[in-house]
Amino acid sequence: MGRFQYTFPRWTNLILPMVLIVGMTAPLYVAFMVAWGFSPATTDVGYMPSQPVPFSHRLHAGELGIDCRYCHNTVEYAAVAAIPPTATCMNCHTQIHPESEQLAPLHESYQTGMPMQWIKVHDMPDYAFFNHSAHVTRGVSCVECHGRIDTMETVYQHERLSMGWCLECHRDPAPHVRNPDLVTQLEWGWDMGAAERLAEGAHWLSSNHLNPSQDCSTCHR
Amino acid sequence: MPSMKHEDSGRSYWRSLEELADTPEFKTFMHREFPAGASELMEEDRRSFLKIMGASMALAGVGLAGCRRWPEQMVLPYAERPEGSAPGMADAYATIMELGGVATGTLATSYNGRPTKLEGNPDHPGSLGATTRYTQASILDLYDPDRSREPRIAREEKRTKATWDEWSSFSVDHFDALRSSGGAGFWILSEATRSPSIEAQQAELRSQFPKATWVAWEPLANTNEAEGLTEAFGIRVRPVHDLSKAELIVSFESDLLNIHPDVLNLSRDWAAGRRPDHGSMNRMLVVESSMSVTGSKADDRWAMASSRIPALVAQVASLILNDASLLPMPSSPAYAGTIADQLKAAAGKGAILAGPSQPAFVHRLVAMMNDALGNAGTTVSYIRENAESIRTASIKDLAAGMDAGGVETLLMLGGNPAYDAPADLQFAKGLSKVKVSIHLADQDNETSQLCTWHLNRSHPLECWGDARGWDGTYSVQQPLILPLFDGRSPVELLAQINASSSPAGFDLVRKSFNKVNGSGGLGESFDPAWRRTLHAGVLTGSTSATESLKTRGGGLENGARAAAAAFDGKGGGLELSFVAGSSVYDGRFANNGWLQELPDPITRLTWDNAVLIGPSTAKDLGVGTGDMVKVTAGGASVEAAVLVQTGTAPGTATLTLGYGRRFAGRICTGSGFDFYPLRRSDAMWFQEGASITPTGGSYQLGTVQDHFAIDSVGGKGTAARLPVLFREASIETYNHDPNFVRAGDHGAHGLSLWQAQQFDGAQYRWGMSIDLNACSGCSACVVACQAENNIPIVGKDQVLRGREMHWLRIDRYYRFQETSPGQYDTDQPLSVANQPLTCQHCENAPCEQVCPVAATVHSSDGLNVMVYNRCVGTRYCSNNCPYKVRRFNYFDYFRRDPMRETGLLQVQPDYYVKLQSGGDPLRRMQFNPEVTVRMRGVMEKCTFCTQRIEAAKIKTKNEWVKKPEAEKAAAKRIVIPDGTITPACAQACPNDVIVFGDLMDPDSRVSKLHANSRSYELLGELHVKPRNRYLARLTNSIQGELFPQDHSGGHGTSTDEHEESHG
Repeated sequence: MGRFQYTFPRWTNLILPMVLIVGMTAPLYVAFMVAWGFSPATTDVGYMPSQPVPFSHRLHAGELGIDCRYCHNTVEYAAVAAIPPTATCMNCHTQIHPESEQLAPLHESYQTGMPMQWIKVHDMPDYAFFNHSAHVTRGVSCVECHGRIDTMETVYQHERLSMGWCLECHRDPAPHVRNPDLVTQLEWGWDMGAAERLAEGAHWLSSNHLNPSQDCSTCHR
Repeated sequence: MPSMKHEDSGRSYWRSLEELADTPEFKTFMHREFPAGASELMEEDRRSFLKIMGASMALAGVGLAGCRRWPEQMVLPYAERPEGSAPGMADAYATIMELGGVATGTLATSYNGRPTKLEGNPDHPGSLGATTRYTQASILDLYDPDRSREPRIAREEKRTKATWDEWSSFSVDHFDALRSSGGAGFWILSEATRSPSIEAQQAELRSQFPKATWVAWEPLANTNEAEGLTEAFGIRVRPVHDLSKAELIVSFESDLLNIHPDVLNLSRDWAAGRRPDHGSMNRMLVVESSMSVTGSKADDRWAMASSRIPALVAQVASLILNDASLLPMPSSPAYAGTIADQLKAAAGKGAILAGPSQPAFVHRLVAMMNDALGNAGTTVSYIRENAESIRTASIKDLAAGMDAGGVETLLMLGGNPAYDAPADLQFAKGLSKVKVSIHLADQDNETSQLCTWHLNRSHPLECWGDARGWDGTYSVQQPLILPLFDGRSPVELLAQINASSSPAGFDLVRKSFNKVNGSGGLGESFDPAWRRTLHAGVLTGSTSATESLKTRGGGLENGARAAAAAFDGKGGGLELSFVAGSSVYDGRFANNGWLQELPDPITRLTWDNAVLIGPSTAKDLGVGTGDMVKVTAGGASVEAAVLVQTGTAPGTATLTLGYGRRFAGRICTGSGFDFYPLRRSDAMWFQEGASITPTGGSYQLGTVQDHFAIDSVGGKGTAARLPVLFREASIETYNHDPNFVRAGDHGAHGLSLWQAQQFDGAQYRWGMSIDLNACSGCSACVVACQAENNIPIVGKDQVLRGREMHWLRIDRYYRFQETSPGQYDTDQPLSVANQPLTCQHCENAPCEQVCPVAATVHSSDGLNVMVYNRCVGTRYCSNNCPYKVRRFNYFDYFRRDPMRETGLLQVQPDYYVKLQSGGDPLRRMQFNPEVTVRMRGVMEKCTFCTQRIEAAKIKTKNEWVKKPEAEKAAAKRIVIPDGTITPACAQACPNDVIVFGDLMDPDSRVSKLHANSRSYELLGELHVKPRNRYLARLTNSIQGELFPQDHSGGHGTSTDEHEESHG
């Protein structure tokens, strides 16, 4: 009986290099996918939950030109820029669209005293202690972190709000600082040249003795 | 005199008697860093490990499958936000805490309606900004998961839950019937209180129930003092001391720095006299039976059995007073003459105090001596006690009435007599004969469980009330939160029983305020005086006027005869003396985890009490620390563990009250021994003729005194380090050589192992100063730190493993007299040293050098900061810390039942948070929202209260930006004014021991204290450059310098040579 000899076809010679190539690239691919997939730029930026009342910042802050601090009135002295109480909405909405279906939860809250249940958009980790007043009073505009809220129909997260992103500004604050009186003018500076904008920032940095801290204890306690 | 031998001759400081005796336990502890078994991670068997691992794999799968942005969170704004409030901003409200009938002003911190912390009220004369450890800890009582949540009723044999409606329908009929009979058989037992609102209700009770009788019961009340002063003056008065004017303080068993109704003022004034920079200092002489906090701070201290002290006082008095009725004492110790001479020399500038244990006779003599020496009017003055507005009786009368069946209705407002009444009164037995017993209490405790009705009481932060301070100042107690469990306050309950037309707490308090203030009626909508009182926390001008009174002479024969007889000790046997638990007081704080885990200032014992016996007495009895003994006295006996405590008078055993609670609280159950069964109404404070016999058993006591010992190298060299850690000298040595502390300095290694920390461009240099001369060791700072920084309690089992979490500990060292080379007299320590120790915030911090993940780094302000979210738990930093101040979270302590024996995997979160399982969020409500709650596997330590620093920086800079341009341009840096930042420990301290501030400002208090000649760095020779400095302690003994060898040479030498110089 002749010996049966099986020979692998030629193409099998490619298996080994293919395995090696895939084996070498796969970890890189996985690492890339994890880094990209778990980065706040992917998971957080653009987060736009629908709210119980479709409140339009574009209408109120943009078209009507209501100052941010009319509603978020604690922003200059407190850590949180408080979501306004129902009573603030009702300053106008007892007169304007009092019968609107969309405002029903608002009226209900006003009558029962139970809070509105807004969904949090900008959510910081619990171990990071951000203080609005420390930034707003020193000329860091709302727009630096929240984007052009005055053009958003529904608010979404505009920036990463990650620690690396915070530090970018703490290391190089000049492009992000302005006259503290203009912090709520979100459109300010769009027509400025980069050099002019930088000079403006540098002026306020030095005149207000701004010295953004990079110590851990500034935000982590 | 018995003594202990130790090979190490010439040493003077010892951590503990165990160290001196060099017991195997101590050795093991030092060498292993943690006690036996501590390094075993899991005590569970393999089965349960696999079970949990399986479950966590499954969970991980679920978690990954649901991979998305973290859970949606809601923001719930107010529908209508109260004026002036902002989300996340703390408000402070002035209110009071009443303990033992004395109100202390507090400022309660509240985050949007959630009180989280109590601070002292600077405007209240009883507080002046400081707090006791009890005030600090009482915030935790508000959120105690074991609080009673509803009324209970005993129906036949069974106790069931009831409602307040059921109580109302019952009580209306019951008290109507009682009213028609004039209140016959109606007794009320209450905690001591000086609330004008309660007094108003008492008057109302008297008119509606003329036969009702009121009993005030406080197991630790100083009734002897009240009695003695009444004998001395003929009217009821209380003494108000001003020790800041005292050059000499003599205490006859008065623990004035620790357990006294006016402790904050006494302590502060004592400390004020310990600032020696003008060359002189007060002197405190203490005679007591067991080592107390006050005794440990005495310049001269004599240990003497409580029963013998009256004869000593009589002898001292006979040398001072010319009273013929004071019979000469046949025998008394020689130092009676010394004390009398000292007192005469300090006439007009001395103060004599006696403790509650001393009989009325002693208190009378004390008043007479203070009068004769001209101290009255300067260091002590007297205020008149109000007349009672109702018929009163003692607890003895009540017990007799109950036993005779004459008590039909017993209403108890707080208190816990079934646990803490004198044993011979058999209160529990008598209670069973009472037809209707009603107990208003915050816990369903021993007494409640025997009563017909248990009613849940509201916490002082939940209800309106009012009370007077020790000096009579009137304050209003305002609620910060609605009653969490619909409890009621005593005054509300009384008003309901009196069928008041407006039984709401606010109306009652408002009415009594108007009466005290003499202003208009309730109808006035806006009363500026009321608003001012609420805001400031005190009613201006309400402090009682001091009376100038003269003591009466004569009639001292009986007292003197009794004192002489007691001195000769006919009682025989051992003498038991009862003292308040430093942590749990009379037992009412027993279910408070912070206080249970707070080490006793002297014994350093946590979670337990013990029979304290002196070394030689223990030797005679054949017992040692941890042995179980049977204590028998007056026909009753209690089995308890022994703790050998230096400083205890020979032939006495000290029993700490307040432990061994039978009520099933999750904290207090199983901790300590109940000594109340030995306490009799005729021997409330000491009892002769007791016997102690070993039972052969043993018990593990959770003392922390040998934990975190500062060593040189690997567990060795603790002995060599001690004398340089704690530096002391006499005032004479100090005046002669103000720089004596430098004698303890060793030449610092100028070369650093690593690159020194650079602070170029720093805006601030935070630093701290701790004055060892003013610290009494009362531990209020430790509890304050725990409350401020969300520090968990760990339970006795973990304490035994050396895992307590306190960021601030108070080390206690003893100094013994060397009787012959290598022989030490351990019965009476030469001195006791207390040293508060926190993170020293070294500029060249050794911990930072060894962290592999940079989780502990330096801030530009000089803080050694800990980044929890970076820490991976290698514990290298803790290992490398020369001060042993770093604490590691071995478990998720906030999710762990603190009383559970062992184990990692059987996490029972029911006591604490139960976050995921949607359980009881009560304990969580106390958390300070400004501080991260740490989890398992993370290192933590003192941060100098960085949250307070950041808050002050932000606030100051926010305001600074608004300043005019010219001013801003001229400023070099943004200065935070001195005193703006106060860490929690410094804020609580009555003695101003801890001072924090900016070292960059040469005029700040801390800069000046660092420049003080008494200031020294701890372990400065390591060149770690600590930002925290200590001010050396000075003694003012009659004998002069006690430790001359400390200050002779040793400059700049190495440790070994320095040790030799002692020999």
